Amino acid sequence: MKQTTKLSTGQQQEHSAETRTVKTTAQEFKNVEELLRHDAAQTPVPSEIARRLNQSAAETPVPRRPWWRRILG
Amino acid sequence: MNQTCEEPESLQSEAPRIVSEDLNTLYTAHSRAIFYLALRFLGDPQKAEDATHDVFLKALRKLDQFRGEASARTWLYRIAINHCRNLQQTWHERHMFPSSDSPVWEQSAGGDSPLRILETKELGARIQKTLDGLPPEYRLLLLLVSDQELSYEQVGALTDQSSDAVRGKLHRARKAFAALFAKSE
Repeated sequence: MKQTTKLSTGQQQEHSAETRTVKTTAQEFKNVEELLRHDAAQTPVPSEIARRLNQSAAETPVPRRPWWRRILG
Repeated sequence: MNQTCEEPESLQSEAPRIVSEDLNTLYTAHSRAIFYLALRFLGDPQKAEDATHDVFLKALRKLDQFRGEASARTWLYRIAINHCRNLQQTWHERHMFPSSDSPVWEQSAGGDSPLRILETKELGARIQKTLDGLPPEYRLLLLLVSDQELSYEQVGALTDQSSDAVRGKLHRARKAFAALFAKSE
C-alpha cells in the first residue's frame, strides 16, 4: 500500500516554496522540524548504553560536589 | 519532545550514591535527545551508541563544573556537539554515507508490526540520507531546532551565532532539506 507523506517546511507565506510532497509513509508533516521530531520519537535508545554507562560510572572517579551545593542543593 | 517509544532505561544504583542519582536523572531526561543528535549527526548507530555513552560519562566527570547557568539539556548538547565534531575530524568521515539503521530498529522490534517497522526504518534511512547531503552546519541546526525544549537563542548559543542568524540559516536549511528529501524518494 502506497501512502503519502506531505512535507511542507513552513506555515508562513515565505515558506510556501519549501513545500514538498513525498510518498513513503502514512504520515503528514507540517515542516522539517516536525518530521525530525517524529523520527526522534520513533528512534529507541539502545538499552546497551545504560548498561555500559553504569559499568563505566562505577569505575569513574567522581568529583565531589562543592560544599555550598551539598548544603544548598 | 513527544516520545512514543518506551522511555530509556534508568541506571541502576551501582555508582556512588549522590552522583549516581544525578546521572540517572540526566540520563532518563536527556538520553533520547542526545542519542538522536549523535545518530543523525554521525549517521551510524554504533558510533552514536558509543558517543552517547561517552557524552554522559564526560558529563559525570564534569558534574562539579555544571553550575546550572545553562539548562542541563543545553549543557549536554554542548558536550555532545563537541564530541561528535571531534569524532568526525578524527575519522575523516565528512563525506561518507551512513550505514543502515538496522541495528537500532532490530532491537526495537517489540510490539510493532513488520509493515510499521519497515515504514519507520525506510523513513529513518531517507532522513539520514537527506541530512548527510546537507552541509554539517545545516544538519546540526535542523536537529537542534527540532528539539522543542530549545529556543532559537539557545540554538544560537550552541552554534556560536545570533538567534537572527539561526533564523536566516534555518530558512535555507529547510529549503535544502525539503529539496533533497524529495529527491531521495
